[in-house]
Amino acid sequence: MFKWQKLGKIFDPTAFKNVGWMDEFAQAPSSLIFDDFVRVYFSCRPRPDENGQYVSRSAYVDLDRKNLFNVLRLSPGPVLELGAPGTFDEFGTYPMSVIRDGDAIHAYYGGWTRCESVPFNVALGYAVSKDEGETFKKIGTGPILSYSPDEPFVLSGPKIRKYDNIWRLWYIAGRKWKVVDGKPEPIYKIRMASSVDGINWTKLNKDVIADKLGEDEAQASPDVIFSRGRYHMFFCYRQASDFRRNKDRSYRIGYAFSDDLLNWTRTDSRVGIDVSAEGWDSEMLAYPHVLELDGAVYVLYLGNQVGRFGFGAARLDGVLE
Amino acid sequence: MIWEKMGKIFDPTKHILANGCIEFAQSPQALVVDDFVRIYFSTRQRDPGNGKFLSHISFVDMDKSFKTIGRVSTGTVIELGKLGCFDEHGIFPMNILRYGDTIYAYTCGWNRRVSVSVDTSIGFAVSTDNGLTFKKLGDGPILTSSLHEPFLVGDPFVKRIENWFHMWYIYGTQWKQYSAKAPADRIYKIGHAISEDGISWQRDGRQIIDDKFSDESQALPTVIGFAGKHHMFFCYRQSFDFRNNRDRGYRIGYACSTDLVNWVRDDSSVGIDVTEGDWDSDMLCYPHVFECDGSIYLLYNGNEFGRYGFGLARLRTTG
Repeated sequence: MFKWQKLGKIFDPTAFKNVGWMDEFAQAPSSLIFDDFVRVYFSCRPRPDENGQYVSRSAYVDLDRKNLFNVLRLSPGPVLELGAPGTFDEFGTYPMSVIRDGDAIHAYYGGWTRCESVPFNVALGYAVSKDEGETFKKIGTGPILSYSPDEPFVLSGPKIRKYDNIWRLWYIAGRKWKVVDGKPEPIYKIRMASSVDGINWTKLNKDVIADKLGEDEAQASPDVIFSRGRYHMFFCYRQASDFRRNKDRSYRIGYAFSDDLLNWTRTDSRVGIDVSAEGWDSEMLAYPHVLELDGAVYVLYLGNQVGRFGFGAARLDGVLE
Repeated sequence: MIWEKMGKIFDPTKHILANGCIEFAQSPQALVVDDFVRIYFSTRQRDPGNGKFLSHISFVDMDKSFKTIGRVSTGTVIELGKLGCFDEHGIFPMNILRYGDTIYAYTCGWNRRVSVSVDTSIGFAVSTDNGLTFKKLGDGPILTSSLHEPFLVGDPFVKRIENWFHMWYIYGTQWKQYSAKAPADRIYKIGHAISEDGISWQRDGRQIIDDKFSDESQALPTVIGFAGKHHMFFCYRQSFDFRNNRDRGYRIGYACSTDLVNWVRDDSSVGIDVTEGDWDSDMLCYPHVFECDGSIYLLYNGNEFGRYGFGLARLRTTG
């Protein structure tokens, strides 16, 4: 079993006042390491509109590389524009995953639209930064990865990696909308796609991670890191219903490993991190992101209310193998 | 060319339709069988939840003189999509392609949105019972929005030419607010894609038919080969005030090609227009061309987008 040392909450969006585009939430952290700081992208929400509807924006916070609890600066604004009327990302960009390649930073993100019979749909967008990740420009108005016969809706939670010159995208795809107390709740599974250029993608078209909670298990945030000759995936999973308020049915972090990127063995018993007895992560652990920094391995993750009050970190004792 | 109008041949209000559908017989598309022609069309049910329309596929069998109606489908030809799927709120239109022992269907599935009224994507289904019923490949679409075709991918027409599947379809370019009071209107254009298996498609990624005027919406391409050329018919209209203003509503356009890459638009050659005082006095839309016993026919809708049925014309000359 891995042994994680919880370090506590790093970033709380509600500590910043009068930021119009960020009121609450700092979801789905994704890191980019610079010489002196670690830039962590996240998705936040301004206050909801008069109908209680949210939009998600993506932004970053720079953390001192020598002390991740030292917040150096918040991005001056969101790094991605929302889409034009009728486009896939009109109502939100969340989550966002970044990678440095050549002289650019590439971002893959979930774009949100609103629907009539179900609350939303999501497809994956793509944008590029030529200014070290300060701002990103979309290369088209539509999504880069969208629905297909076996992935009919809700393509979200992208995690971009590049191994041996092949781009890999782990993401989730909706399987069904399950109506719970008259309200549709999405069930989604972890999927994968590959690309030689980062733009044209070929889907693997199969579930990557075996279900633990049965076919109604929702899986999210498939974060992959290569360490000691093996690929490790940390993700989160939950029950399909009553997961918001019932801590026993809410998000926990799962683990799987692979030697070939295609076949994954799920062994959640090794994950070594769970909810705390009390505090900011006492009810759920969600949206893990694992990074290696100066010889140590960290996991950034969300606690209660799926990151409404920010994200925190834990450090691995030993190596990831 | 000159089309000889044969009049309206089917009125949905004179028949009992499956799924509680009451009006509309839109986008007629033909499957020629031995001694009859099966014509698929989209008809409409009122959504019991909110009174909005749900489009369903139905068909009518007609003899080859197109004067006698045989069977009208009494069952569900293809199910609408599940909750949250691209074709949950309607299938309109459905294009039919006979391929080997099976019949392929390319559907345009509709789902309702909040900030704009709707989005569409293209689905795929197969019939192994001669077109009575169709089973979908999956819950999701085979062609949907992409980087440069951001929404409203629909109106497929598929044809096999020299071992390739060719699809002509439409994609949205803009939802445009023409006045502060009106909801946004959509603008769409005709595109093309090819495929080896009829399921995985490679798009050209460009508009293939020139605009006739700015903000033109182009819809429902249909292609047929004769006299050494490929001929495309489609419909086009202004993008707002097109429902009740006959001068801005749908007309049929025409283009031809010898290489399936370059299309020359020549609406003046289309040879069919509205007829004063008749069922098609205000608009002509949703064309479908097909060959039957050596003649070339054009199925199309007239006024009110086919609320009261579809008609037929026969090609007299190809000049």
